[in-house]
Amino acid sequence: MTDFNTTLFRRLTWEGTVPLEIRVDPKELPANSNRGLECYYIQAPRVSYLPLIVPEVRRFLMDVVFDEIAAKGLKDEEWWFESEEGTLLKWHWPIGVIYDNHTISASIRSSPTPSTSTASPMRLILHLAAPPNDKLFLSPTVDACKQAFMNQLKEADFIRWGNTRRMTSLRKADQDGLWEGIREHSFDDFWRVASKLMPTAGLPIRSTSPPPMGSSLSRPTSVDTANTPDRDGAYSIRSVPVRIYLPDGPVLQELAPPLLEDGTPHTLSHFFSNHFALLFPPRPPPPPPSRLNPNPQAPAVPKLAYALIQGVVCPPEAELAWLGSCMAGADGWLNICVGINR
Amino acid sequence: MAQVATGPELTPRQSSRNLPSLVANNDRPELSEEVVKALETYKKKDSPKVVVRFKGVGNAPIMKQNVYKIIATNRFQAVIQFLRKELGWQKGEPLFLYINSTFSPAPDDTVLNLYKSFSTEGYLIVNYSTTPAWG
Repeated sequence: MTDFNTTLFRRLTWEGTVPLEIRVDPKELPANSNRGLECYYIQAPRVSYLPLIVPEVRRFLMDVVFDEIAAKGLKDEEWWFESEEGTLLKWHWPIGVIYDNHTISASIRSSPTPSTSTASPMRLILHLAAPPNDKLFLSPTVDACKQAFMNQLKEADFIRWGNTRRMTSLRKADQDGLWEGIREHSFDDFWRVASKLMPTAGLPIRSTSPPPMGSSLSRPTSVDTANTPDRDGAYSIRSVPVRIYLPDGPVLQELAPPLLEDGTPHTLSHFFSNHFALLFPPRPPPPPPSRLNPNPQAPAVPKLAYALIQGVVCPPEAELAWLGSCMAGADGWLNICVGINR
Repeated sequence: MAQVATGPELTPRQSSRNLPSLVANNDRPELSEEVVKALETYKKKDSPKVVVRFKGVGNAPIMKQNVYKIIATNRFQAVIQFLRKELGWQKGEPLFLYINSTFSPAPDDTVLNLYKSFSTEGYLIVNYSTTPAWG
């Protein structure tokens, strides 16, 4: 059984959407198109993929924009997307990652805009021909996207458990059910199967202590490793599948065990100051106490960068195991976009 | 005082914050030198090489030499292309690549990332097959 906290945060992650503005490249509009309307707005699920929104975009364009005869020569498999700045948008990246990565990359190129509570749409250019397949890596079919998705799940499974037995022991119907859950954006369908793969973030089994009091939304901040830990729990895996997206690339992977050698939970701040010290300088130890200053504080370090997960700025003390269990994408990966403080 | 350490870095950012219109045309307005340097460092392709061991599966042809050093920042796509060339595979002939007999990585992932997560005894093991072998 998945505990309440885990389910709650998984649902919040699942329901996350991003606004997209999709515009056909004006140079490629077929003859006699309705030029006033070639723009389509969609609030796309973060856990979805571009090939899955193509049918909806296509329907709109065919119904409203394209001339029926002129559109006859168009082939879906030649469609592809670019950002406004000319970055190819990959078929196999979750839409939420494309959005966050783009927003951060754009923000370091232009002067900061006053923050608003509503997210502005990401502008996508839809091309109707001549896809640069060698750079897109994947044919734009839903099936190719499904294959890539299943492989990502397996890769994440391997990182978590050191084998892919959880994934390979799923029946075919269940494996397909995972993808159908994404396609239909059905939380219940997806998590009915995915909960067999992903560890829960709940407390490890505790023999004596009562459940923590306080807000029902509070999550465990530490783990009592003295008790028998939940063998399938987030703190028992080998490593959290983590990808780090730096502004304007590259994408980096590092091993991220849920617990440090001393048994304390591995936090975001520890992970980043360890692997990306130039952007997340570690805090030096406080100076020795003196008569004038009996309780010295560690000197402050500049906060140059921040971690953005599923569009949420995450606190440095957040634990990787918890994040991997509750805020990972549907493909099982904890995708962390690094933003720059301005 | 705690602020002393960050003082020099804050000055340009603070001053430009007051004059947003003047810096809007700069290449990277307001990014401190420290951040720009950090981003460039992580982007830099200082390329260690990692050892890749190819293992044929099923009917796949066996390679005479099956251990290669590959530049770590290469994308997996480069490994696919390299192997196709070594095997003399024509365009369109199917070839499936797997890591540790389990999964096919995304072609845009780097050899370095895969090596960090999946190497065994100093090798990144890449299985290849002419038919789908592991799902």
